[in-house]
Amino acid sequence: MAYRGYIFSRNFMEERVPQHVQNLVIRDYCRVKNLNYLLHVTEYGAENCYIVFHQILDELDNIDGIVMYSLFQLPLDKSKRLGIYDKILRQKKSIHFAVERLSLFNAQSIERIENIWDVKQTIENCPKIVEGLSNG
Amino acid sequence: MPFISEEESKVSNQFLNDGYIVQSINKLQLVKKIKYEIYYIINQKKPESEFDLNDFFDNFHKKIELSELNEIRVDLIAKLNALSWVRESYYEIAKEYLDLIVGNEVSMQLRVNLSIQIPNDDSSLLPLHSDTWSGDSPFECVVWLPLVDCYETKSMYILSPEESRKLYSSFGEYMEIDSEELFNKIQNKVNFINIKYGQVLIFDQGIPHGNRVNKTKETRWSMNCRFKGVFTPYGDKKLGEFFEPINLKAASKMGMKYQQPKISKK
Repeated sequence: MAYRGYIFSRNFMEERVPQHVQNLVIRDYCRVKNLNYLLHVTEYGAENCYIVFHQILDELDNIDGIVMYSLFQLPLDKSKRLGIYDKILRQKKSIHFAVERLSLFNAQSIERIENIWDVKQTIENCPKIVEGLSNG
Repeated sequence: MPFISEEESKVSNQFLNDGYIVQSINKLQLVKKIKYEIYYIINQKKPESEFDLNDFFDNFHKKIELSELNEIRVDLIAKLNALSWVRESYYEIAKEYLDLIVGNEVSMQLRVNLSIQIPNDDSSLLPLHSDTWSGDSPFECVVWLPLVDCYETKSMYILSPEESRKLYSSFGEYMEIDSEELFNKIQNKVNFINIKYGQVLIFDQGIPHGNRVNKTKETRWSMNCRFKGVFTPYGDKKLGEFFEPINLKAASKMGMKYQQPKISKK
């Protein structure tokens, strides 16, 4: 079995990464981690659309897990993210985030990923007091 | 009674005046554990004695070819970062001083770096730079951990905050020159940091710093990792990609989960 690559065709969290760059980062991550890489799929461009992602979740029986470009391509809604984690872990699979080089495979790693999400969403409300800096 | 203790005030003022602090490590056993791990990764056996261990690090240049150096370094970084206890120990080693300089709720760089600078090697130099020039947030501090005694060109250099301000005020004049020429203009103003194994350096990476060809007879081994306050502005080194919160406090977790009750008419 192997891991399905997943990339975005739209911006996420004010980031835009060319699709071929997302693909390169995923391929490199799989190479370094020794993961067997299946061809990637590309999410549709419509805002908040996860149709393609849900198709991968439906095929989890046939793969080891998912390698997505960034953890910030997960849904903004926390309850939806938790639902995804639950589905993946219940099937004893994992999801990897290539650019962050992080992975989610147990309850502890959920906390790690969600801490990053919580701070990311909170820091948007903190003052950007240094000229020229963007918030993380 | 002041809010900030005399000790904290002293350390803070030293950091602001010099751009760095050098402090003794109280948990030296953690540094030693990292050194043993490095020795083990390279030699696939434990050192026979403390002398054997220290000799291996200081005289590493006698045991390898320069052409092998980068591969060894990259392999070591990957293997050390694959061990979760290494990052945890790294934070623990510097924690008491990070608490004073950065705070006790921090974001830590996802990977700890390792530098190996063998004598007369000009292939692994870091020319004069400030991390903020290439996108780091000025809220970040670097924890620099020597695994051997570092002095003169076996160490790194840093400009003082005062000289840094002078350089910044005339920075426009230097846009057409390279970093070596820039170094030449300030070389008599930089301080090579004298730091012993068993001490830790925390410095302001917004101040120009770098290293030179190691002209001593020993190999320099040092590690470095960045830390910042969780809720301070991030630069190009972003949350998730480069930093992660490692010790969120209960009040922050509480606040981030809080939702105002929704009032709706029935």
